[in-house]
Amino acid sequence: MAVFDTPEEAFGVLRPVCVQLTKTQTVENVERLQAQLQAVSDSALQELQQYILFPLRFTLKAPGPKRERLIQSVVECLTFVLSSTCVKEQELLQELFSELSACLYSPNSQKPAAVSEELKLAVIQGLSTLMHSAYGDILVTFYEPSILPRLGFAVSLLLGLAEQEKSKQIKIAALKCLQVLLFQCDCEDHPRSLDELEQKQLGDLFAAFLPGISTALTRVITGDFKQGHSIVVSSLQIFYKTVGFVMADEQLRRLSKVQAKPAVEHRVAELMVHREADWVKNTSDKLTILIKKIIECVSVHPHWKVRLELIDLVEALLVKCSQSLVESAGPLLKALVSLVNDESSEVQAHCSKALRHFADQKVVVGNRAFADILSENLHSLATSLPRLMNSQDDQGKFSTLSLLLGYLKLLGPRVNFVLNSVSHLQRLSKALIQVLELDVADIKVVEERRWNSGHLSASPRTSAAGPRRQIQRRYFHFFTDERVFLLLRQVCQLLGFYGNLYLLVDHFLELYHESVVYRKQAAMILNELVAGAAGLEVENLHEKHTETSPEELREIVTSILEEYTSQENWYLVTCIEAEEMGEELTVKQSGLQAITSGAHTCQVSSFLAFSNPSPTICSMNSNIWQICIQLEGIGHFAYALGKDFRLLLMSALYPVLEKAGDQTLLISQAAASAMMDICHACGYDSLQHLINQNSDYLVNGISLNLRHLSLHPHTPKVLEVMLQNSDASLLPLVADVVQDVLATLDQFYDKRATSFVSVLHALLAALARWFPDTGNLGQLREQSVGEEGSHLSQRLATLEEGLENTTTAEDIEQFLLNYLKEKDVADGNVSDFDNEEGLGCTGSVCGSSTVPQEPAPSLGSSDLALTRAPTHQR
Amino acid sequence: MTMEQESTPSDVPGGDCTPTRMAAPPPPDPQFVLRGTQSAVHALHFCGGAQGQGHPLLLSGSLSGLVHIWSLQTRRAVATLDGHEGQCVTWLQTLPQGHQLLSQGRDLKLCLWDLGEGRNAVVDSVRLESIGFCRGSVLARGHQHWTLAVPGRGSDEVQILEMPSKTSVCTLKPEADAKPGMPMCLELWQANSSPRPLLLAGYEDGSVALWDVSERKVCSRIACHTEPVMALDFDSQKARGVSGSAEKALAVWSLDEQQALQALRTQELTNPGIADVKIRPDRKILATAGWDHRIRVFHWWTMKPLAVLAFHSATVHCVAFATDGLLAAGSRDQRISVWSLYPRT
Repeated sequence: MAVFDTPEEAFGVLRPVCVQLTKTQTVENVERLQAQLQAVSDSALQELQQYILFPLRFTLKAPGPKRERLIQSVVECLTFVLSSTCVKEQELLQELFSELSACLYSPNSQKPAAVSEELKLAVIQGLSTLMHSAYGDILVTFYEPSILPRLGFAVSLLLGLAEQEKSKQIKIAALKCLQVLLFQCDCEDHPRSLDELEQKQLGDLFAAFLPGISTALTRVITGDFKQGHSIVVSSLQIFYKTVGFVMADEQLRRLSKVQAKPAVEHRVAELMVHREADWVKNTSDKLTILIKKIIECVSVHPHWKVRLELIDLVEALLVKCSQSLVESAGPLLKALVSLVNDESSEVQAHCSKALRHFADQKVVVGNRAFADILSENLHSLATSLPRLMNSQDDQGKFSTLSLLLGYLKLLGPRVNFVLNSVSHLQRLSKALIQVLELDVADIKVVEERRWNSGHLSASPRTSAAGPRRQIQRRYFHFFTDERVFLLLRQVCQLLGFYGNLYLLVDHFLELYHESVVYRKQAAMILNELVAGAAGLEVENLHEKHTETSPEELREIVTSILEEYTSQENWYLVTCIEAEEMGEELTVKQSGLQAITSGAHTCQVSSFLAFSNPSPTICSMNSNIWQICIQLEGIGHFAYALGKDFRLLLMSALYPVLEKAGDQTLLISQAAASAMMDICHACGYDSLQHLINQNSDYLVNGISLNLRHLSLHPHTPKVLEVMLQNSDASLLPLVADVVQDVLATLDQFYDKRATSFVSVLHALLAALARWFPDTGNLGQLREQSVGEEGSHLSQRLATLEEGLENTTTAEDIEQFLLNYLKEKDVADGNVSDFDNEEGLGCTGSVCGSSTVPQEPAPSLGSSDLALTRAPTHQR
Repeated sequence: MTMEQESTPSDVPGGDCTPTRMAAPPPPDPQFVLRGTQSAVHALHFCGGAQGQGHPLLLSGSLSGLVHIWSLQTRRAVATLDGHEGQCVTWLQTLPQGHQLLSQGRDLKLCLWDLGEGRNAVVDSVRLESIGFCRGSVLARGHQHWTLAVPGRGSDEVQILEMPSKTSVCTLKPEADAKPGMPMCLELWQANSSPRPLLLAGYEDGSVALWDVSERKVCSRIACHTEPVMALDFDSQKARGVSGSAEKALAVWSLDEQQALQALRTQELTNPGIADVKIRPDRKILATAGWDHRIRVFHWWTMKPLAVLAFHSATVHCVAFATDGLLAAGSRDQRISVWSLYPRT
């Protein structure tokens, strides 16, 4: 098809069609015109704009009833012309605007005329195109007060369409058109920004529509979720842009100074709104109601894009209208905060960005600092938290805790203002303690046993999941949703990160002491506080926040650790067998009580609890969980301190290793996982490496605990595990600890011989492993002979002999018989037959126990010889 | 075992300085034990922590001639000094200024070590004339000057040296008729009122003598023990001292204004033999190292026995207090036990 570039050529072609249309207005004629227009270039069309528009407008204006189809095609043709040309005259713009709007006018009702959807759509697009085709200058002057009635009609028309139409397409088109009309279109055709005066003019004009727009849009926004998210998103956009424009603090501030009545005719003047203080107050009150409604509905909207738009709404309104909408600030912030933990990562990210922006800018809302409002909100939330945790369902708890988390994130270091209030800290902690209560009725916890008591073979590399793996599944009284637990952990971590750690740890340690009912929860909270304080997994919104220094953190961790591993919190009854083992201990305890009576009431009571004759399943479960939580805490602490935790290994490693051999499956699992965490944190490649490098600390613990074997019946087991996991570098320490073992064995040879025998077996196995063949053995022997008084050389000599001259069963039997005989003699159980020989011995034995003697100059040298005759204490 | 059993709990009465923490049986355990000297421990000395320079250290001297430097933070040896040719280290003392350590060995050498900034080198040494077990004593006299007392050439002499110039100031030789035997332990000190250095010396015959170093004469002398004096410590504020000997008693004596020593009392012990005695820097308690493997703790003012610490399995050779009150004991069983007793609140 030929293109007509010049106006002359185009005129030649278009003239007959236009004449035809003017004469007879039919759909066909309009279509013919449109077909011809396709072939005309834009520049030619611009020249002939008025000429072409005439027959079209004539058709619209012609009196008498018209067919909808005709109007629709005329409007479409008009739209086509407008889309290719510019409207350069003010008058034309106004007229076209009125004529187009009138297409949907129905004289008898408020509602848009009952016409076909196609026509509605055509008109909406026509209006939109018209506004786009207007020259910038003309467009601004278009919004003069006199246009108010016509503009008002169009706005209400579009709102009506957006609200009441069935077709989604129309709704969206209407909302888009509304945006254009309200100067909110973000397309490239409106590059010019408005100056102050123009803004004021527009503001005055739009203020008249504000009630209508805001209420209608609120109805759309809070409508059915099923209407589609894009409609809600557009409505939200128009809502906050309009409100943000009309109620902008900047405009209102200037308005109150100047008050000039625009010179307009009376009818229009009545419609005009002057935004004086009263009006602002009234409007803001009404808007607050609407905003609350919107927030309530939108913050739980299933579509994430809607929630995302809500963030923009909050941000825009808080930034632009912080003075005028001061009443809404609270709800707006709350909405923002509650989205911090949104399930959509986009929303979360956007929300964090907005929050960071607020936190950084020190935005002032009304006369109050942003932070004040937040603290106030947090105060009131903390107050109601215990009640909410008690009454809400999982979903309710989730949103409440999300909100709490948001406030904490936002307040950052200023959270201390709330924590410093004793009553608020108490309420907060009460709520946390309450909601974290564990369900300890599960019988499996006690039942499950660790059967394989083999090596600690796993190395961190084989359990590849890395540090802080999935923690053990717990069951809580007050919720089942895992997300709630996650939130609670995050809340505690943030508290630890921003809050005064000394204060918090003190407080929760106090609760830990206060009652066994709180102990497990308090420990869980303490664990997370420390993890948070180290800044792990915490997203910092506050650049200037100073974290707890490593020294302080270490100090705090040391004190918690001391508490966790203290006698009364670490050695709890977890199974019936343990109770039996504890019998002699109970006797001993009561003896001790007699001595200490009055000195330590708390200690006595804990001892009593300890020696409770029949522990219930529940109390044992509870004890198991407590130990697991404390073990997990030690893992957390290691993770929090990193390499610094090495210094704490001297007190932490022994207790953890002890629990790794616990019979209860959960405990041994928790201990193994804590050891992994320690390996990771302190930079050891494997458990063996960890144990090997810290065997001096372990030996220290073992040696001291052997002195009180009845209190620490598992000590030989730890030594055994240590021997199994060490290499020859342990050798210098072995002699020392074996001395202790033998000394203890002397005291308990009748009751605990089995556990010691297994230690000695482990020792021999270790020696055999460290020095696999006799060649090495000899070499080593030469080395160690150099060290004066080394017990080991003797030991090794014995070993060597054993290896060289293979001992027969008869030898062993003979040895044993000799030994028993000697023992009898030593005890004074001598038969008549042996009497004469034995007298001397008996005498000397008696003598040794009655006559005070200088201590033997050395106990060591003969200690390790297998033939050593034991001395017994009676 | 073969030793008499002392019922430890009854030895721990609720004295006025007895915090509840210690009152609870079982008998106290060491806070921790340092292992790894591989040889009997004969000398202990705490240093550091002051001047904000890192964590406190514990120095130990062993029979094998090595000095181990232990970090009390990690409870591990951080360095080993080898300067006494395998001969027993009997005395360790850091100097008030800087990072200098004196170590006395039975190789007849007194070494001065520089331990600053990770160095550990002998910077100077003094040749000793006596092979006895008598430990030296040092007294700071102004910046970078100190007076040193060591056993002298003659078996009953004490030699006084000016350091670091190593110039011999004088030799303190008892009068011919006194015959106190060898000096066994020395303690240089200075009264607040006078700048003249004084020396307390315990002798083989069981007597303790006060020397005026500048006038080279004995001011006073008392017979405290019937056996050789093994160790003494002096509280210059209260002008009271305590000495232990090979016998079964501690002697407490005082010094009046005329600088005359006066025996105050003796404290009977269960077993004989005190290898070392130290008063805690806060002058509240004192500790003794016993041949009977025990460490005993007494109230310094009343001499009331407070605790018997049974941990070692061989003779305890030395005890030392840190400025913060920590107690360390070194034994022939090659272990060093560290105790936190009646911590100050």
